[in-house]
Amino acid sequence: MLRVYLLACCLLLGLTTGAHAQRKGDLFIRNGTVLTVTNGTLKNTDILIRNGKIAAIGQNLKVPEGVEVIDATGMYVMPGIIDAHSHIAISNVNEATNPVTAEVSVGDVLNPYDIRIYRALAGGVTVSHVMHGSANVIGGQNETIKHRYGETDPDALRMEGAPRTIKFALGENPTRVHGRGHNVPPLSRMGVEFIIRDAFHKAQRYMEAWERYEQERKRNPRAVPPAYNERLEVLADILRGNILIHAHSYRADEILMLLRVLKDFGIQRVVFQHANEAFKVAPELAAFGAMASVFADWWAYKFEVYYSTAYNAAILTRNGVITSINSDSPELNRHLYHEAAKTLKYGGLTEDEALALITINPARQLGIEDRVGSIEVGKDADLAIFSAHPLSIYTVCKKTIVDGIVRFDADRDPDDMRLRVDPERPVELAIRWGDRQHGHRCLEGIDLIEFLTETLQSEWQ
Amino acid sequence: MRLRCFAFTGFLLLVALPLDLSAQQPPGQQAPNRNDIPTITRTYAITNARIVVAPGQEIPRGTVVLRNGVIEAVGLDVPVPSDAWVLEGDSLVVYAGFIDGLSHVGVPAPRRQGNQNEQRRRVRNPGDPPPERAGLTPERDVRTLLKADDASIEKLRRVGFTMAHVVPRGRMLPGQGALIFLRGQTPAEMVYQGEVSLFAQLEPAQGVYPATDMAVLARFRQLYREAARRRQHATLYASDPRGLEPPPYDPVHAAFFPVLEKRLPVFFYTEDALDIHRVLALQQQLDFPLRLAGLAGSFDVLEKLKQANIPLFLTLDLPEAPKDTSKLGKLPDDSLAARHNTYLHVSSYRDVPAEIENLKARQAKERIKYYKTAARLHEAGLRFGFSTRGADPDKILGNLRTMIQYGLPEEAALAALTIDAARLLGIDRAAGTVEAGKLANLVVTTGPLFDEKTRIRYVFVAGELFKIKEQARRSRTREAATTPARAEGTWSCTVDSPDGAIDTTLRIEGQSGTLSSSVMPEELPLEDLTMEGAQLTFSVMTNAYGRVEARLTLSGEAAEGTIDVPGVGALPIRCTRTSGPER
Repeated sequence: MLRVYLLACCLLLGLTTGAHAQRKGDLFIRNGTVLTVTNGTLKNTDILIRNGKIAAIGQNLKVPEGVEVIDATGMYVMPGIIDAHSHIAISNVNEATNPVTAEVSVGDVLNPYDIRIYRALAGGVTVSHVMHGSANVIGGQNETIKHRYGETDPDALRMEGAPRTIKFALGENPTRVHGRGHNVPPLSRMGVEFIIRDAFHKAQRYMEAWERYEQERKRNPRAVPPAYNERLEVLADILRGNILIHAHSYRADEILMLLRVLKDFGIQRVVFQHANEAFKVAPELAAFGAMASVFADWWAYKFEVYYSTAYNAAILTRNGVITSINSDSPELNRHLYHEAAKTLKYGGLTEDEALALITINPARQLGIEDRVGSIEVGKDADLAIFSAHPLSIYTVCKKTIVDGIVRFDADRDPDDMRLRVDPERPVELAIRWGDRQHGHRCLEGIDLIEFLTETLQSEWQ
Repeated sequence: MRLRCFAFTGFLLLVALPLDLSAQQPPGQQAPNRNDIPTITRTYAITNARIVVAPGQEIPRGTVVLRNGVIEAVGLDVPVPSDAWVLEGDSLVVYAGFIDGLSHVGVPAPRRQGNQNEQRRRVRNPGDPPPERAGLTPERDVRTLLKADDASIEKLRRVGFTMAHVVPRGRMLPGQGALIFLRGQTPAEMVYQGEVSLFAQLEPAQGVYPATDMAVLARFRQLYREAARRRQHATLYASDPRGLEPPPYDPVHAAFFPVLEKRLPVFFYTEDALDIHRVLALQQQLDFPLRLAGLAGSFDVLEKLKQANIPLFLTLDLPEAPKDTSKLGKLPDDSLAARHNTYLHVSSYRDVPAEIENLKARQAKERIKYYKTAARLHEAGLRFGFSTRGADPDKILGNLRTMIQYGLPEEAALAALTIDAARLLGIDRAAGTVEAGKLANLVVTTGPLFDEKTRIRYVFVAGELFKIKEQARRSRTREAATTPARAEGTWSCTVDSPDGAIDTTLRIEGQSGTLSSSVMPEELPLEDLTMEGAQLTFSVMTNAYGRVEARLTLSGEAAEGTIDVPGVGALPIRCTRTSGPER
């Protein structure tokens, strides 16, 4: 009787903890060509995965009993691709109403039902850095997610333990949205710098006020705390070095501007996103220790993005800047391996250097390089299996594995992989609805506001 | 409308009283004017009725006596008082009156006063709008917003509801809720209990901060934590003001004080599973007393809801299949769902019919999940009441039958309508069962409540009798359907949004058209434009809300219907044709 009772207790415990714990799998990948990225290429090599981690890498490993085997003969196994700039799997992108919205977080509005997580998996992508949009100088906080597609709890997507990051945006987007749109600063690139310095100064005052209060409280039980401010709390955490900055930027001058500002405030870690002109200031970036996450060859979509080159990633890499190639798009993220391959032609990077652009380097930029980004014993079993070398134009992603669980399998890929269906919308609409979702979402959600404020301005004039 | 009815009844009473008692209307409906002669009696006896005292507890044949708004006696051999108005209950069934866990019944949608542009001009900085524009009016009390003759009251009462927890309309923090009776000539007469909830929802403001769900969540955290600090300041100051700056006052933060003291729960309305996750996460961060309403899609969140262990109020709205004129459209959801093949893999460009059939079957499967939600909450051991917000009152009993058909035990359904709702709202000592001493809230039916043929004959609200008449509404729709209607032309429309009326223009030519509005930058093309009988449907793609769908019923040069805005809800739209159709 007691035993039954104990068993029931255990089952209950298992249930309650199971709701939070991630599913992790065991797998055995046999006889593949393993592209470790950090340790060269290993031919005819097996990988053993236990409990979601890489347990062993080697030739002729023994298959433990009961572990599923994937035959990778003739195939290539690479670390799961990491996209350092994405807007998938979230319900909101821009809180475009204020130049500084550090207090909002896309992590609060994760959407695990988003089919684009599955589509990213089909391109071998296992981790996305899901970002706030670029409407604001200091936008919201980002979230690093694992593509555990199939889970419906938003918490299940979060990459547990990944450092906090925040979006900054320089240049045309914030000046257009707030300056031109709302007639509030920033109206110019100078204004962008002002907004950042102003925000940091306010955060410093805020920290001082709370420190004074903490001191006073020790002597005076009737001390009144200063006003609480969620926005300044987050900005203070940036100053304390607890939140990494990922700054949307294009021009060399604004990149140098932000470096100067960060130096003045003692902030050491920054990743420049897009950074089409970063090649001009590569030595300065390397000296600062700043990183860059760029497009392979995408530019000229607005004025500040004309001075660009496909050699950007290679020049940055050769100058010692930790560089990644990102998608910023739910379409481009499905072939980031093609994007990386372009650097073999433009700049002559080695295969490992090219692969690093979409694996270990974005991992470093997100502060998760000890967990993912290469195939090493002890790391998370986030892997992608390709039919040919992933830098070949003929390659096809066959399987994508997250924490030892196969989340995409090209051989078991039914038409309808949605996790949730609108129960009322006519089906024909549902098909076309999907086509709408290819657009780039960096400035999503701001057109209405822009219109409203344009109306306002015309009324003022 | 209802007022006029009463006036007429009052008139009848005055005229007929001395002449012929048997021809007179039953008393109890309160006089519209306090100078009128009071009703003859406030005592009623329902005799020889089957009495469902509580779910699963019945008196097969008994009498219920009501006096002065309270149940005086219930039982087999209860004597009928001499002053009682007797309702012969043979073949009738008496249930406790239903309780609505959350809605806007009796709270009319506000119409914005003055020019909309005037309102907008005042917002200099969209990052820091006045609280009202931001949707922050937590100090507003719904008791000041009630309208006694609002048509929604009668509509809900007709299907058995006697009490409701009502909340103001609005966006993120619309105000404070109250428990009301679905009767009364004045707002004051309707109120049972005030200050019962702080109403909240993930409803962003339009074009100003907080314009997204993520900002609504951040704003809530900011308000709550700053309110906690201000309360600390206020407490210190109250204990001894000497040497302290006086605490700042503003109504938005002050409205959180009773929540911080755990005296007032926050009622959050959730539209889908994601909303539920987000609100539960917010509650974990801040630890405030929480109640959840809406809960569509909660079948995906059962484990978390079990752990949260909070009162739940499930929506009485259920999804409806989209219009489908193909053969598949005639199939019931069960048969359609049975055709679904999870592993179907076809070439889209070649096997379109197979793919469409499978997509429709998948959708039917998904609808069934919603039908089963109540049953699954029940099986998970979660106690819940219902919310009528967003539900068409005329569909409520049918939806309950669907929930029962998909596994919800009848007793559990009745409990959710009555005693469980009362418990979760903290009024189970006063309402929720047919027991002596409780409020005289009753539903008297012609048979078992959930039987399709059963009709509601009487509803008592706090001892006041309402006779429920069958509605003759079918003929009107048939009439509309036989009149050929044409949609062509230019229509001038008004949409009732939570922010007030929005002027919209609809232009239709043949199979295409456009929609333009004062709140949108450009004309949007109408998609999926269909005209069946007098039913016009179309959708438009908006940047701010995604796909917005509209359904209008045309009658001559007028049209009205709803426009379904994701995340906002179904908004009423009324149109008049200003030009066309070309002849």
